[in-house]
Amino acid sequence: MILILGIAAGWLSGVIRSRITGTPYRVPEFSKIWLVLIAVFPQLLIFQIPYTAGWFSDTAAAAVLVISQLLLLVFIWFNRDKVGMCILGLGLILNLLVITLNGGLMPIASETAAALYPDVPSSTWEIGSRPGRSKNILLQPEDTRLALLSDSILLPEWFLWTRALSPGDLFIVLGVFWLLAVEKSAKPALPEIIPEYCEK
Amino acid sequence: MKRAIQELYLSAGKINRRHVQLLLAMVILSLLVLGAGAPAMEGGAGGG
Repeated sequence: MILILGIAAGWLSGVIRSRITGTPYRVPEFSKIWLVLIAVFPQLLIFQIPYTAGWFSDTAAAAVLVISQLLLLVFIWFNRDKVGMCILGLGLILNLLVITLNGGLMPIASETAAALYPDVPSSTWEIGSRPGRSKNILLQPEDTRLALLSDSILLPEWFLWTRALSPGDLFIVLGVFWLLAVEKSAKPALPEIIPEYCEK
Repeated sequence: MKRAIQELYLSAGKINRRHVQLLLAMVILSLLVLGAGAPAMEGGAGGG
């Protein structure tokens, strides 16, 4: 949810900025968007839709997450001419690094999980298990490779939605905000007919 | 009925390339951050 919030904040800032400068608000154009569709569709089935999530084992979920994020990295490579996309790519690399080094899922300490869900009995947080249909795996910090990059940043309690995220997630939020609020979009393409006129 | 169709036609005409591009970019960016990000237990916890 915090990631979607970054999109909303970026769009709003971009619109306000365009009003102030008196220029029409434009978003950057992306190439190879089909890569995003192919990459994210399996993730939606495994992590987002409760009905289909049960069809997949934790091992399959881990494998799909890594492959899907690699595909997203390819998409980012094709769109690396945008600063925001490079920031977002850095976040993805950080997430992918810690996920890959820890078996394919994002590590989270049981203490962090308990802090997020104080009403859930601590016995629920079994080390090595995947809570619900999340992208997480419960690991002790001492058993986590690159624990610094895991879901270790706790947001204040007043924050309504996601309260724990990784440094990679922060870069992703920053990148998407930059894309929508700051990034200069490609100039509107001139009608294709103009070169024909020029030739004549 | 004719008037309703005319109004629909007019409002459809207001949807230009920029609107479509904005919508597409929003959808793609939403999917991208959803796929690239891994905030804690967004899919639900405790067997959810």
